[in-house]
Amino acid sequence: MKRIKVAVAGNPNSGKSTLINAIAGTHLHVGNWPGVTVEKKTATFKFDDLTIDLVDLPGTYSLSPYTQEEIIARDFVVKEKPDVIIDVVDSTNLERNLYLTIQLLELGIPVVVALNIYDEAKKKGYEINTNAMEQLLDIKVVPTVATRKEGIKELLQAIKEIANSPDKFRPRILNYGADVENALKIIENGIRQSRKELIEIYPIRWLCLKLLEEDERVLKETGFTGEEEFLKKAKSHILKAQEEDIESMLAEIRYGIAHGITQEVLRKKDGARIDLTQKIDKIVLNRYLGIPIFLAIMWLAFKLAFDFSQPFSDWIDGLISGPIKRWATVGLNALNSPEWLVSLVTDGIIAGVGAVLVFVPLIGIIMFLMTLLEGSGYMARAAFVMDRLMHSIGLHGKSFIPLILGFGCNVPSIYATRVLETERDRKLTAMICPPISCSARLPVYVLFIGAFFPANGATVLWSLYILGIIMGIVVGFILKNTLFKGPTPPFIMELPPYRIPTLRDLRIHTWQKLKHFLIKAGTFIFASSIVFWFLLNTPYGVEKENSYLGKIGQTLSPVFKPLGFGNWQATSALITGVIAKEVVVTTLAEIYVPEKKEEKEQPAFSEEIKNIFAGFVSAVGEAFHNVFSGFGISAWETEEQPGELQNKLQTVFTPLSAYAFLVFVLLYLPCLTFVFTLRAEFGWKTLGWVLIIYLILPWITAFVVYQGGRLLGLE
Amino acid sequence: MKLSELKVGQKARVLSINIKGALKRRLMDMGVLDGEPIIVEKVAPLGDPIDIVVKNYHLSLRKSEAEEIEVEVIE
Repeated sequence: MKRIKVAVAGNPNSGKSTLINAIAGTHLHVGNWPGVTVEKKTATFKFDDLTIDLVDLPGTYSLSPYTQEEIIARDFVVKEKPDVIIDVVDSTNLERNLYLTIQLLELGIPVVVALNIYDEAKKKGYEINTNAMEQLLDIKVVPTVATRKEGIKELLQAIKEIANSPDKFRPRILNYGADVENALKIIENGIRQSRKELIEIYPIRWLCLKLLEEDERVLKETGFTGEEEFLKKAKSHILKAQEEDIESMLAEIRYGIAHGITQEVLRKKDGARIDLTQKIDKIVLNRYLGIPIFLAIMWLAFKLAFDFSQPFSDWIDGLISGPIKRWATVGLNALNSPEWLVSLVTDGIIAGVGAVLVFVPLIGIIMFLMTLLEGSGYMARAAFVMDRLMHSIGLHGKSFIPLILGFGCNVPSIYATRVLETERDRKLTAMICPPISCSARLPVYVLFIGAFFPANGATVLWSLYILGIIMGIVVGFILKNTLFKGPTPPFIMELPPYRIPTLRDLRIHTWQKLKHFLIKAGTFIFASSIVFWFLLNTPYGVEKENSYLGKIGQTLSPVFKPLGFGNWQATSALITGVIAKEVVVTTLAEIYVPEKKEEKEQPAFSEEIKNIFAGFVSAVGEAFHNVFSGFGISAWETEEQPGELQNKLQTVFTPLSAYAFLVFVLLYLPCLTFVFTLRAEFGWKTLGWVLIIYLILPWITAFVVYQGGRLLGLE
Repeated sequence: MKLSELKVGQKARVLSINIKGALKRRLMDMGVLDGEPIIVEKVAPLGDPIDIVVKNYHLSLRKSEAEEIEVEVIE
């Protein structure tokens, strides 16, 4: 039984992930490349008697040493030495895709070209002579239509053939011209004489080319300085003839070969067909319509994501906090469990599971929409339209979408940063999300506005949202000059043709993200909700003031004295608010207006089941109703606050300290779900910075607001 | 003439890229090579970036980068 390692390379937008989904579908495992936030997909599966370990390389246009994706891709092929490389090529854009193919051939590893999107090429009147291509490059070429799973079997067949006789399929060495070839010979001799061991590690031709190009990474890895005699000799050999740098020269040579091959194998029949992409872009990127269309699409996406998911989240929440809790209570009581255990199970464990599950509809829908926007080609247009605005605050055009989603909820913003190309942009965008005021903060605003600013509620509310945006920009500016110092990545982006993403891709990507959230973030959210139960409820049965939470609140409250709310009640509410910002309201209510325990009547089991199903049906109805109704802010609706709590708050806060409190709530520590999702995506270090920033920033801002207000005589 | 100065619909040929290092390599990797014909297809609604056709596909880049690319009009 044979086992081989297959790497899949290809340009972005070449349909590579669709092809991988078509090949490996359910076998796919998604993780990150070590140490970075670049997605790594792997799969192991059988084809006939062959076991294939598939690794998806990041989509790249080249194998230069400059972008993270390219470095990952080339490090993998150079160091892990896969047996075969599948090179996914967009048949409608042969020349630019072959430029990468040619670089892959330098590695001396057998390559199979998957001429993907072959149907579209045919529709455009392109005719590609695959036989000629096979002969010119000495590799296998298989036309594929990944969206319809066409050519997949042939592709795997080709891999099998190569696995059985790899030496027959060593790619041809392409002639880079006499000057370069001579220089390469000089370098090869030099290496053979002085550093023989390198031949074992690197493909020799590739190594020589990289040394000739003065590739920084390869120089560093091999310990060459670039000043060795044979390197100097090789370079002078070329530079005599040419003026420009060798790296550019080699790029031109590679493109020259790609151009030559394209000329040989591609025939275009009746070329002047109407290009649908061009037609759509005439409208979508129109000078006057471009921005309105973008905003309309964003509005629709926002509405779908939040208003559509809300009823389902409510249903899950109702199911867990209602029937399931009640059943657990009945069961535990039947076993004569102590009261604290019932509370731990229902308010700790079950509530913890609920805290994770209520996010499932939201994250599912957002990931579906992101995949749709990305796969259709619109995401690149969105970036094109918004880049000017976002660039002015040092971000990429694509950052706009994760940030705007933040107004609904910051958590899906983290996942939405995946649309950005560089790790720097992804991290930077995720790190400035927290001050974007999400809908969970609204109940706190509403409570305090009702108590202190009934006359100018709208102004106060707007001021908070705008303060959040300003703080986001400020944090972004600071980060850019400290943690993310260095040049802004260039905006050199392909505008791919519009395509219809397959349902299979949408399903697979959405499920992968949900799984990621449930496992990587969910476990932490669940665990921390149990920790919080202990804080709130131990020692069991005492007044809130004497619980651990109350004690911690008392200890920490002096920190908030300069901000105007140095009492244990407000401090405790801020601590529990870390679970989710709206919990601030719940805690304040529990402290100031303790609820009397009332025995609720236990509905019959059959009644409960009936209600659950009826609830789901009405949730579906409501979800669709929400989408088709006007800009109903159902996601932002809040329950009426009891006047009693507001009366109590008026005795503790002044309008100024209340506003300072709201500013603090706006800016302080993102909720636990955000925290653990951020960790799952970007790791502990990024999370650490976020926690530090959003502890210091809110304190300073609230301090300035409160003390400044006092100086102005507002109190 | 610079690429950033071309008007929409104008066809030109790339003469040289006046930067070095990563940015130049990136542009070349995307097919913006000396001698390459290009067309300025669109300008974004807010005036930046621009959309050019090179090697039969659409590429967008900011004006700040387009300023570094020397071109000559061919049509």
